[in-house]
Amino acid sequence: MEIRKTFHEQLDELYRDLLKMANTTVETIEQTRAAFASLDTAKAKGVMDDDDVLDHFVKKIEETGIELLARQAPVAIDLRTIIVIMRVAQHLERVGDLCVNISKAIVNLEGYTMSPWIQENMDEMFQRSIKMTLRAMEAFKERDLAKAKDLSKMDDTVDRINRTFLTSYNKESEEELELVIRVVMIARFIERIADHAVDVGENVSYMMTGEFVEFS
Amino acid sequence: MSEFEKKMEIKNLSMFYGDFKAIEDISLDILARRITALIGPSGCGKSTLVRCLNRMNDLINGIRVEGEVILDDEDMYAPGYDTIALRRRVGMVFQRPNPFPKSIYENVAYGPKLGGIKKKDELDSIVEDSLKKAALWQEVKQNLQESGQRLSGGQQQRLCIARVIAVQPEVILFDEPCSAVDPVATQLIEDLMADLKQNYTMVIVTHNMQQAARVSDFTAFLLVQEQGEPGRLIEYGDTNTIFTNPEDERTERYITGRFG
Repeated sequence: MEIRKTFHEQLDELYRDLLKMANTTVETIEQTRAAFASLDTAKAKGVMDDDDVLDHFVKKIEETGIELLARQAPVAIDLRTIIVIMRVAQHLERVGDLCVNISKAIVNLEGYTMSPWIQENMDEMFQRSIKMTLRAMEAFKERDLAKAKDLSKMDDTVDRINRTFLTSYNKESEEELELVIRVVMIARFIERIADHAVDVGENVSYMMTGEFVEFS
Repeated sequence: MSEFEKKMEIKNLSMFYGDFKAIEDISLDILARRITALIGPSGCGKSTLVRCLNRMNDLINGIRVEGEVILDDEDMYAPGYDTIALRRRVGMVFQRPNPFPKSIYENVAYGPKLGGIKKKDELDSIVEDSLKKAALWQEVKQNLQESGQRLSGGQQQRLCIARVIAVQPEVILFDEPCSAVDPVATQLIEDLMADLKQNYTMVIVTHNMQQAARVSDFTAFLLVQEQGEPGRLIEYGDTNTIFTNPEDERTERYITGRFG
């Protein structure tokens, strides 16, 4: 007879819920990217409307995690896994909120024309933040410390692109300045999405090693 | 809680050993096909209470009961109530495993035989079915004629569970069933209880709070407030709420280990 079947089944379900939440989060970032690419207000509003889904996920994961901690007295890897699942769910929920903030900013950009160089750099930031979120979740699923640590370098690239907006715009154009100021705010939100992916990687590292280390 | 039907209703139950009131005015529902845990410090009356649920306390001289215990709409303390039939419907597993000094087979067949079943193939079928339900069959099927008392502690306890199951109970009472067995056997018994929920209503007395947290759906906390007073029900609720956010401060102090 398998021992502690009920506990292990509940833990498996918690794990699967997190993976579903992560998939939804990645889709949300992609929808936000697409909304920005064509300054599509309707798409942006769609992202805002769907934020409830991630809120619902994090609530369920929190409640289940707390119940498991209270009732099953998990130890060692089980304890660290439950704690990490709860923390990662919080990070994913914040990523969802950041996509809502970006979407609100996209709505405010209605009527503007995006310079191609800005569009390309922003798209690259979006794509990289999606890759980082996927890489963080791969690290979690595969218990891969190397993949978790990769995230720090990937984040450096996102930070570098973020810094180019204020150095690369056409200083002769007041129009471009105004656009860049608005875009920089959105870029900051994407940079925060990337930071959350790094945080997920740090949590994966804690889950595997039991030590909390900040990836610089 | 109201979505589950009631199997038993305990109404204003008090019990006396002579002049000494052991438990006072306890009212609590036991819900069908759920596990209800009774927890509380030593001497709080939880074993006294569970033994009221199949009138095992009747076997002690000088006891007196006030209040009612309703099993399927009938008060088991009403005059003339058939206590023999009651103890078949509401079986009990004790703290110390107590298999009869008989073979494994005879331990399980004993109750059905007393109930009038004579045909060997019928008895064989009951024995096998009960041992399977108690998750013991695989371990003993080759040795059914061996003495039940030669099994390990955990196996003996599962044999006792099979013995109860053989007479087709509706409710199974467990009075600290794991305190005399090792941790692995404890976990096997807890997993077994989770499976038995499909068919049986269960009440478990345990001094092990973590066990109550793991295994039960509902938890009742009993306490003797001052020495010499009777045990009273302090709080009853679904186990998740009791262990994450109990209403009563005394419950919280007990489960967090601030007294015990």
